[in-house]
Amino acid sequence: MKNNLLFRHSRLKKRLLLAGALLAPSLAGAQHTLCNPAATPEARQVYQALWGIYQQQTLSATVANVDWNIREAENVHEWTGKWPAMNVFDFINIHNSKDVNPAGWIDYSDMTVVEDWWRQGGIVGCMWHWNVPANNGTDYTCTPGTQPGETSFDPAKVDDPSSDEYKRMIRDIDQVAGYLGQMQQAGIPVVWRPLHEASGNIYDFEGGKAWFWWGAAGADAYKKLWRLMYDRMVNHHKLNNLIWVWTSQVGDSTWYPGDEYVDVVGRDNYKALQYPLMKEYNTLAARYPDKIIALAECGNGDEVNMALWSKIWERGSRWCWFMPWYDYHYNAGQSDTHKFAGKDWWLDAFGTGLVLDREAFRQAMEQQPADKTYKYVLTKDNNVL
Amino acid sequence: MKRIPFLIILAALCLPGTQADERTLLIGPKTIGPGWRDNIVVQPEQFASTQAGDVLTLYVDQVKSGAQGAFQDPADWQAIAPEYAYFGLSGNPFQLKVTPDILGKIQARGLAIGGHDYRILRLTHIPAAEMVEKIIYRGPSVLMKDDWSASAAIQKSCFKDVKVGDALHFQVSRVENGAACKIMDFTWNVMDPSLDGVPVGADGLTMPITEQSQLIKLQLAGNDGVSMRVGGKGYRLDRISVVSFTGVRNEDLTHAQRAPREYALQPGELFHGEKAFPADWSGNLRFTAEPFQDCTESDCIVVCYESLLPDVDAQISFRENKGAWHDITGAAEPVWYKLDGNDVVLTLDAVMLDKLMTDGLVITGIGATITKVYILKIE
Repeated sequence: MKNNLLFRHSRLKKRLLLAGALLAPSLAGAQHTLCNPAATPEARQVYQALWGIYQQQTLSATVANVDWNIREAENVHEWTGKWPAMNVFDFINIHNSKDVNPAGWIDYSDMTVVEDWWRQGGIVGCMWHWNVPANNGTDYTCTPGTQPGETSFDPAKVDDPSSDEYKRMIRDIDQVAGYLGQMQQAGIPVVWRPLHEASGNIYDFEGGKAWFWWGAAGADAYKKLWRLMYDRMVNHHKLNNLIWVWTSQVGDSTWYPGDEYVDVVGRDNYKALQYPLMKEYNTLAARYPDKIIALAECGNGDEVNMALWSKIWERGSRWCWFMPWYDYHYNAGQSDTHKFAGKDWWLDAFGTGLVLDREAFRQAMEQQPADKTYKYVLTKDNNVL
Repeated sequence: MKRIPFLIILAALCLPGTQADERTLLIGPKTIGPGWRDNIVVQPEQFASTQAGDVLTLYVDQVKSGAQGAFQDPADWQAIAPEYAYFGLSGNPFQLKVTPDILGKIQARGLAIGGHDYRILRLTHIPAAEMVEKIIYRGPSVLMKDDWSASAAIQKSCFKDVKVGDALHFQVSRVENGAACKIMDFTWNVMDPSLDGVPVGADGLTMPITEQSQLIKLQLAGNDGVSMRVGGKGYRLDRISVVSFTGVRNEDLTHAQRAPREYALQPGELFHGEKAFPADWSGNLRFTAEPFQDCTESDCIVVCYESLLPDVDAQISFRENKGAWHDITGAAEPVWYKLDGNDVVLTLDAVMLDKLMTDGLVITGIGATITKVYILKIE
């Protein structure tokens, strides 16, 4: 039985590799530049390494259990003996960070977990469930609406610097920029994915709507907000360690901020079956041919079990990385099974031989030529010379 | 002469509906699968003798992580009362106290039980007369503000007489829309995942005690003697009572409604059971794209049915499992298949295959009971 399994697995692997070789256009040697011309050498190196594996292999990623930890990465290590290549942190609770709130219970200014991850060879990713005050005046939320627990925060106020909304946008961006700046000072590049899933399900069916406030006022306001954030972080705060990931809902090209503001196009999908994923990948790869395409979030949906990675790859998807979502109940010991991607899913993924773990990506990074075309010096004021 | 009253009493006890004990209204199993797509309607006649104040108990098993139940009005599929729009399930029975408003609905239209990721074993009815309610916490009342910051600390001594089989009833007032309750142990951890953010209605919340481990948790306290903390938002906690059932369960299932028989799906089967497509067009079967991922243009979808309704033009159509359920063929108007006694066979083409593999399939129609749907592989 064991021999049979090995034989079948070996055949599958050969088929997968063959499919990969046939479908992947040659990207080796291509020159790709980040949208920020002043990007740090570390960011450029990660970006080139991503292009180096893109369409031939896939990077494994996990997300923090809610905010500022590597809990899900520890799960993967426990199940498979391997660490995922990337861990993504979430600035969802910045209003409770001890550096800005004496009563806070989390400290985003403590970079220990991030620095440790980077030092051990992992890529650092960050995303931002950008919570703003809810209508009840006490809670924070991302969800737009008029109910007490929702927010009427208007992203269109990005045009009105005198508005309270604009001032809060700047204040919050500045706070997050401070943390990202700490990472820059530590030499850590960041795969940065803000303002995700903006168009919600507007293009999925009649009556669909944005489910995050940053999409609630439509594409124009959203793009202005993206560009405001980009300008504030890159030009004002001199954050040059960011690889900018824009998250598409597939039918939402009018929401795209522009090539000069985006390095990677991501997609979040919780009906992650092989056929629709292949269609979505092909659509995005055709629409954004000069960008890396990544499966920025994935997992089981309410009704659909995510396909095994071997099936997704075999069907022709070539996402640069995948990132299953976290399971709070599992991590709290309240559930025996992981809701989104458990042990079997991860064993299958690594078993394809085409999914890079932290160690494999570290080796891929070392194969990248040193960036000799650019040098920068960071002043005490965090300015680039 | 002395034997006559005894026989009368015995006869009265044996008459269905006259016994004051726990009586089964619905006997399962009925699987409530993922995605809020399954439900079963307990028919109105089952509630003929129900009165306000009585208790309905839902017994479940095969509960998956994050499973939720729901009690709905079959008329519009809205919650039978706000606190029953959804409730967490962890394997313990869940209780509904019948209010005058709920009574009117279930006696007129029945009670729909839905949700996701669990299996119904039975629904029972206990008359109010068989329940003894004793206040164990009389305050101080605690107003649960919108920021979830308030909580009530309950001493373990309050629970000293609680036993397995009892239920805790959290009595509330000033309930706002969106009110929710969180029941924690003395370390501020939620006592059970199903007790985290539970909707609160005008009648408060009921927490059945069905296992010894729950009693043990109620007796674990900190130095201050507190063993339970009740938090949440949008309501005021006034009292906690313990409700004890003094009767026994009547195992007579003669008058119980039986759930349709369930079959384990065989390879290729999408559905196997009994799904009524009544004359009011309320019947449909919905399938995700998952079972179609390996389909080809050579395959067919076969629908089997029985029990054609008299005086109804029985027919079905195949729709996209998306948005407004457009026809799976891409046609502007639905394509109808008459149910003439033969199985319906849908031969796939490239357009249909793409829709099936992307979003899945809905079968809707009228006038029959669907018994099986499967994918026929044509070699």
